[in-house]
Amino acid sequence: MTRTALARALEEGRCGERVWLYATYHCNLACVYCLTESHPGIARRRAVPGNQLVGLAQEARELGFGSLGVTGGEVFMLPDMPETLVELGSILPTVALTNGTLFTDRMLGRLEPLAHLDVALQVSLDSPDAVRNDALRGPENFAKVADAIPALVERGIKVRIATTVDDQSEEELARLCDLHRSWGISDDDHVVRGIVRRGRAATEGMGVEPGPTDILPELTITADGAFLHPFAPTVRNGVTDLDLLVSRQVSPLEAAARRFLGVVAGQPVGTDASATFT
Amino acid sequence: MSRVRLLERDEAPLSARHLYGDDGSASLLRRSLVNAPDILETLMPFLAQVSAAGSVDLATKELVVVRVSHLNRCAYCLSAHRPLALDVGVPPDQVAAVCDDTSVDELPERERVLVEWIDRFVLDPGSIDDELTARVLDHVRDDQLIEIALVAGTTQMLNHYCTAFAIPPEGR
Repeated sequence: MTRTALARALEEGRCGERVWLYATYHCNLACVYCLTESHPGIARRRAVPGNQLVGLAQEARELGFGSLGVTGGEVFMLPDMPETLVELGSILPTVALTNGTLFTDRMLGRLEPLAHLDVALQVSLDSPDAVRNDALRGPENFAKVADAIPALVERGIKVRIATTVDDQSEEELARLCDLHRSWGISDDDHVVRGIVRRGRAATEGMGVEPGPTDILPELTITADGAFLHPFAPTVRNGVTDLDLLVSRQVSPLEAAARRFLGVVAGQPVGTDASATFT
Repeated sequence: MSRVRLLERDEAPLSARHLYGDDGSASLLRRSLVNAPDILETLMPFLAQVSAAGSVDLATKELVVVRVSHLNRCAYCLSAHRPLALDVGVPPDQVAAVCDDTSVDELPERERVLVEWIDRFVLDPGSIDDELTARVLDHVRDDQLIEIALVAGTTQMLNHYCTAFAIPPEGR
């Protein structure tokens, strides 16, 4: 039933075919616009274990979803992420978002099997200027990314670049494009997006508040539950926003998908609100 | 201060916002429950059915709710249901009596036996015997007693919930 409803929703363009998996809220950086207020000192390191991610991916494929996105936090903070990505990539096409700062030689070796799978690593880079980039993303970020990307490309691993636009000039963005082309990354694999005014970006007064139809619904699974899209499970002042929560239950994925489709269709839960008990 | 978040309408999950009024109002209990929207799929219809006039009239149900909440010392539920009991026609002296252990004997026979049964249901259900059951069934049918038991049990659950999470009393 959920499979049929999902197929119809996908056909009608009411939701995306990708399932996003928030592997962890933990991160080694503290970007100024971070949706989840991730930072190295975070007290509660909420994560979805690798074996659960793989199980969710298998369920997603059975339900009819077409691809996976793995994000966080920094996904490579999880020790088993390289092997998990190999498993995910053998189930569905996968893109994993990363800040690109944790790619040691040993890590790169563990990632080599990805070259034979439909897996892309989407590395964040906001400016071709180290100082400008690092102001947004943290000290030495540019140097680490500039080391990591050629090393990944050299191993045959597909790399995409994601740029979050704040006040970069067109000239600056053009130079960034020159840079990623020099690494062998095409313009098709360069994602440029605005800052969403949620999480730390909202606290900092950055970005644009999305309207209700600005972001395509894509089932997004986190350690806190399932959300309407990947910009939904934000954290502000240490508390997860619930306004775009669709389900606390994420396993079986069918339950979360059913509720996700219900929200996409505008269906409320517990429609009899007349109880005097509450 | 509540130990769970009491969500305003614009903080609540989209699927649960219909539980708020057009002006954004909702009871503090609802504002806590919407943190767990999945369970509302079945909880809200269940609570609506249990609290609605069924084979048992609303006045009797509210008397049961107030008595159970008194036994459990649930400040939130007493703040919400004492006014409701009056609204649905429970005489003020009966509302006062079920909230005062020394005044229970002043209740009419039917209500007094019901309170005796409720007290044991909440405090020591194993002590309910055939003799007490027979006395209650002199005043209500067996299906009505089942409904009363479910009202009492549901109230017990919510009393514990509200007390454990320190849901503050409604300022009514």
